[in-house]
Amino acid sequence: MKLLKPLVLAAALSLAPLAALASPETSAMAEPAPGEILMANVNGLVCDFCAQSIRKIVGRNEAVQKVHVDLSKGQVRVDLKPGKSLDDAALEKLIRKAGYSLVSVDRTVAK
Amino acid sequence: MPPRYLAAGLALAALAAPASARPVSYEGGWTLMQENNGMYSSLHAHYSPTATDSIGLYVEQNWDMDQTFSGLQYNRLVRRWNAPDSQGNLYFKLGAGAVDPFDGGQTELGSFAGVAADWETRRVFVSYDVRARDFGADESLSHAARLGIAPYVAEFGELHTWTMVQVENHPEADEPVTVTPLLRFFKGPLLVEAGYTLEEEEFLLNWTWRF
Repeated sequence: MKLLKPLVLAAALSLAPLAALASPETSAMAEPAPGEILMANVNGLVCDFCAQSIRKIVGRNEAVQKVHVDLSKGQVRVDLKPGKSLDDAALEKLIRKAGYSLVSVDRTVAK
Repeated sequence: MPPRYLAAGLALAALAAPASARPVSYEGGWTLMQENNGMYSSLHAHYSPTATDSIGLYVEQNWDMDQTFSGLQYNRLVRRWNAPDSQGNLYFKLGAGAVDPFDGGQTELGSFAGVAADWETRRVFVSYDVRARDFGADESLSHAARLGIAPYVAEFGELHTWTMVQVENHPEADEPVTVTPLLRFFKGPLLVEAGYTLEEEEFLLNWTWRF
């Protein structure tokens, strides 16, 4: 009997993770839903200072995960955090704060 | 590029100023700008509370006039033209402070005002800068213009290289018109310029760091 208690306890502990996997809370451990990707066409992007300004200002927004500037295409790619959103007006305001002009925005969801 | 834009740029450059890199940053941005040439060494450290204004310190040691200016400088981006492949800017600058002669003479009040314009694509750069100053013994009006060509187009984060020529006009100087061929290197937050003023046989070294 002295050995039985520790054995039962050890068995219970070793099975606990399996029980957790079966519980509804396991959805929190699954891959997060992908965030939205905004492709913004911006006027005035001609140099690294321009790109740096856009990255600093847009990157500060709490919804933004990553910013990439393509000077050749005059495009700014903004990856949003999963579950976050940034509407066109808010993006336009950020681009303007950086000193540039937003022309249009295309939206897709990351795969 | 439309020929009329190129013609306008060349005309501006022909007018014959120091044409600093952009004196206004993004909202919340800081910039350090340093210029060294045969006439003076200067440092301008400024902060941009908005994308159209900046304010900061300006210190200039003028070897030509044997005096130091220390004061505040305000820059205003009066207008920016953002186009798909180009950007144009019109700036207004104002400064005021103290002028101290090297020989320990009496400190005087000094001030300056300037207007600067630039236009650039990823291949062509033109700028014009006019500045009026009252630094005690130095009351002058000067002009400068630049024309730059990028031999290749670089992406963000790569090394950008520009070949430029700067023409300056200081009517009161022994050499009223000077020509400075220079190279501009630009990578991320750092811009460095190195050149040589032909008439004065002096080197030029400028840098700008934005953060």
